[in-house]
Amino acid sequence: MLVLERGPWPEAADFGADELANVNRHYLTPDPDLNPRTLRSSTSTAAVPAAFSNVPQMVGGGTVHWTGLVPRFQPSDFRQRSLHGVVAHSSLEDWPIDYEDLEPYYDRVEWELGVSGRAGANIHEGPRRRDYPCPPLPPAPYTERFRTGCEKLGLSSFPTPSALLSKPFGSRPKTVVHPFIERHGDPTATKSTALNTFVPAALATGRVTFQPGTYVHALERARDGTVAAAIFTDSEGRNRAQSARLFILACGAIESTRLWLLSGLPDASGQVGRNLTLHEFSCALGTFDEPVFGWMGGGHIARSTLDFYETQDDRGFIGGCHVFASGPRSPWPINFTVPASPLWGAAAKNVDRTLFNHTMAAAFLLHDLPQESNRVDLDPEVTDDWGLPVARITHRMHTNDIAQAAWFAARCGEILAAAGATQTWTFPITTITGNASHQHGTLRMGTDPERCVLDSDCRAFEVPNLYAVDGSGFPTGSGLNPTLTIMANAWRVADRIAEAARR
Amino acid sequence: MTRLFLDEHAWTTLEAAMARIIPTDADPGAPEAGTVDFVDRYLAGPAYVYADPSGGEFLRLDERRSVAWMRRIEVLRERYHNGVAELDRRANELRRTDFSELSEEDQDLVLGALEVEELGPPDTRDPVMQRPVSDRHLGFFETLVLHTRQGFFSDPAYGGNRGRAGWRLVAFPGPTLPADANEEMPGPRDNA
Repeated sequence: MLVLERGPWPEAADFGADELANVNRHYLTPDPDLNPRTLRSSTSTAAVPAAFSNVPQMVGGGTVHWTGLVPRFQPSDFRQRSLHGVVAHSSLEDWPIDYEDLEPYYDRVEWELGVSGRAGANIHEGPRRRDYPCPPLPPAPYTERFRTGCEKLGLSSFPTPSALLSKPFGSRPKTVVHPFIERHGDPTATKSTALNTFVPAALATGRVTFQPGTYVHALERARDGTVAAAIFTDSEGRNRAQSARLFILACGAIESTRLWLLSGLPDASGQVGRNLTLHEFSCALGTFDEPVFGWMGGGHIARSTLDFYETQDDRGFIGGCHVFASGPRSPWPINFTVPASPLWGAAAKNVDRTLFNHTMAAAFLLHDLPQESNRVDLDPEVTDDWGLPVARITHRMHTNDIAQAAWFAARCGEILAAAGATQTWTFPITTITGNASHQHGTLRMGTDPERCVLDSDCRAFEVPNLYAVDGSGFPTGSGLNPTLTIMANAWRVADRIAEAARR
Repeated sequence: MTRLFLDEHAWTTLEAAMARIIPTDADPGAPEAGTVDFVDRYLAGPAYVYADPSGGEFLRLDERRSVAWMRRIEVLRERYHNGVAELDRRANELRRTDFSELSEEDQDLVLGALEVEELGPPDTRDPVMQRPVSDRHLGFFETLVLHTRQGFFSDPAYGGNRGRAGWRLVAFPGPTLPADANEEMPGPRDNA
């Protein structure tokens, strides 16, 4: 197996606890001028360049900068159409697989990563075959506030399953928990990123080669419709081709779709690039008299409630969100923002001095509805630094999304107030900015080739030796952090591929 | 620190403006932290974009990234050049003198007027969850505020945050080097 990776293969020494580089100067994420995307709200408005849904492009991918919150999806996430029927202006659909199909793979991924958590702590969780490999992480003061707020409101809460090791696991030491984890690479090489888990495990088999610095810009097809070769530019700028029996896309839902379109692969269903869901991070912010140290664990240590996750008829919208404790949107000093604080002067300085350690968030991930019109295609005008058309995002929020965000922002504010916040601000969402860096949909999986791009094993209906194992196959995006499910599904697909090869 | 890019007048003007953005009180402000040194180094070119995580030197960028950063830095140089001229123009309109010669009160007046012109009156703005993190699409005033914060709170390797003045102000431990993770955290350590 050959992994053609567009970016570099970073080492721990390449990563720093450096807010300026990582948050303000996009050290880990694509350069906004070399490798832009464009964004528009409808087909009748002009698309403008935007640093949208940034994910590191390097060996390790999104796990390099991830917060590492790894809850399983709820069983209901796989049956949204069955539960809600037809929803106007939405392409809501069931998954072709159930929670039970993924459960063995959730288990394997949790034990491969060394997830810290406690079985049963999330009272809403689907059945699981055994406990987590590591106990929950120690709480932070802000997670304790969240717990108190939930208790006062009669809500259940639990330590969020985390891709940090709370104790030594296998040959790996306990994770060094420090303030610069989220949106930063890990200089200690102790966080459960792919770089520290799956990549070395894959190399140890002796059957995998990673080739960083190779920018695949087309998949070339043979006469029989299968992919014959990946065409790429190597690290010296030469164009080369790599043939193979089987090809697997894993570039993230936006870039996998872009490569599909750059290659001119077939789209008989008309669904390629459509049904894009993105989540969106938003929250209520609160300030407290006592310090809550929002930067502790860099937002990594978290506590969650899923009491609001399932649809309730009296809310006026369907679906629900993962609600969790976190630091402020940026818990580090440069980008720390207290809403309504002056921008400059003695008063602004005083806000930093008095509130930096006293501010936290109760956050939520939008459970956005799939819509055919929310899509990825190729921008007809803007190209990247290599001269290739960039991904153009067309996205407008569903009215259900807007109502849901407003409701959840208000609940988050109530949790903070119950926890003793002296002042709270709530942030509903009316426009998606891609700030969650989560991408799903675009190459929908299902059983009907007329309405889906991938079959239930994530194999392209029209290109029999092509698979996609990132979030692009997800028929719906859920309201929970997606990476554990992406990994579990990828493992499931790998089993299907191996079974097919043996037949 | 030696000047790398800014001329003496621009240095003096920006230092004066930054001293009003994060003023000195019982705790150090922008002048003590060296925020103008930070901007000077940033504007000097793509050799100073990313501190080497293991300390001291800066990372060498590949050709494409170097060119992209140089283009952005040239835009910023022009923004600062015009911004300094605008501060002086307004100072001369007010008192027939350069911005750095104004009293602190008058400097605040000039900066306040610039702010309102660029962003509208403060009480008409919606509270935001996150202020802009990128300087690519900002006006001069907002750029100056963002860069003052960056110079005050970023790793000392970038030329500002002298003596960790910014981190001390907000009681943030910060790393010793960008490569050093910090395991010492206040607060409870027991399992949930």
